[in-house]
Amino acid sequence: MNPITIIWNFLSNTYHRLGSPREFYTISRYTTPVFGALFLVLSLIGTYFGLFVAPADYQQGDSFRILFVHVPVAWMSLFVYVVMATAGAIGLIWRMKMAFVVTICSAPIGAAFTALALMTGSIWGKPIWGTYWVWDARLTSELILLFLYFGIMAVYYAFEDRKTAEKATALLSVVGVVIVPIIHYSVEWWSSLHQGVTVFAEGGPKMPPEMLLPLAFMAFGFMFFYGYALFLSMQNKVLDNERKSGWVRALVNNKEQQS
Amino acid sequence: MSPSQKKRFAIVSLIIAGVGVATFFSIMAMQSSFEYFKTPTEIKTEGFDAKQTYKLAGIVRKGSVFRLNDGVTQRFDITDCENDITIQYTGILPDLFREGQAIVTIGKFNNEPMLIASQVLAKHDENYVPNEAADAVMLQQANKCNDTDGPVKY
Repeated sequence: MNPITIIWNFLSNTYHRLGSPREFYTISRYTTPVFGALFLVLSLIGTYFGLFVAPADYQQGDSFRILFVHVPVAWMSLFVYVVMATAGAIGLIWRMKMAFVVTICSAPIGAAFTALALMTGSIWGKPIWGTYWVWDARLTSELILLFLYFGIMAVYYAFEDRKTAEKATALLSVVGVVIVPIIHYSVEWWSSLHQGVTVFAEGGPKMPPEMLLPLAFMAFGFMFFYGYALFLSMQNKVLDNERKSGWVRALVNNKEQQS
Repeated sequence: MSPSQKKRFAIVSLIIAGVGVATFFSIMAMQSSFEYFKTPTEIKTEGFDAKQTYKLAGIVRKGSVFRLNDGVTQRFDITDCENDITIQYTGILPDLFREGQAIVTIGKFNNEPMLIASQVLAKHDENYVPNEAADAVMLQQANKCNDTDGPVKY
């Protein structure tokens, strides 16, 4: 067998194992702490370089440093949505239990990232722009994203029957995915007070490497935080969903015997 | 994929495509209302309505900033390097306000025509520059209109 086949088989095997609640629970017991540790290490390095090593900006001084939180959480608010909607589509098409769990557990995390992006941006906006808030295309579309996350969470808890709730939630998240390109391109399609693209600008980032490096650490750090928070929340959800199945009962009984 | 999965795949794809197309057309229909500000050239070509409040953005023209005798009212020109519009503002300007900085002003036109601004916001651009290069970058920004004749983007 060539290496590509081996890797492919491994990935496909892992994917299918993660599709089973019980297997997911076993695997995630090992991966979750790893994600948490990676988040801590990457974000601590990023914080150190961002606060103490990166030079101050020529016109914003030290207040530009809030971007090391603002930019990663704003990226994550979109990334989480894409993951959530993709999982929703997989759940709807292949009726995969675990895909719905990904969708439902991602929503509060995505909402938190979105709220953080709006708040940090607002705090930065006051000294730099001279206002906390304007109704330009970027800010308004990001606010709509926050309400969309809230709506998705509300839909899930609005149904008595879990299967119906899961399908409705997945459908709403799939429909809402149209907001993601609108938010991303809002600063290119229309005039806005919010600035244009810096990091992924045409012709390279419009930022020196010593500012870009901590930003990259923070971005990957927050991605692992998402993995960490998602898996913790999913473990909880899986136990709740499968509370009547044999393996969860056995797990609970073992815990009781130990204590 | 089984036939039922294929069917559901088609339905989900259709929903995404449908929502996408509907959003595209509604955005195209409302295009101008998504714009946050107008440029001096747009005002010059379209004219203005004295009753309406405008959000107008441009670069602060080098050498145009001065203070009136009351000590709190400033007057300056903003430009897109093709047309200029004079702004009058009473109050504290944002910290980033300087020659060459892009700003957004909100207010109504009087007959001169001059925009009497009730609010001035700094439009921070996408460039991040270390402190030591500050003077060079600011000088380049202040002289931006010397190098270009067409309208610039900001």
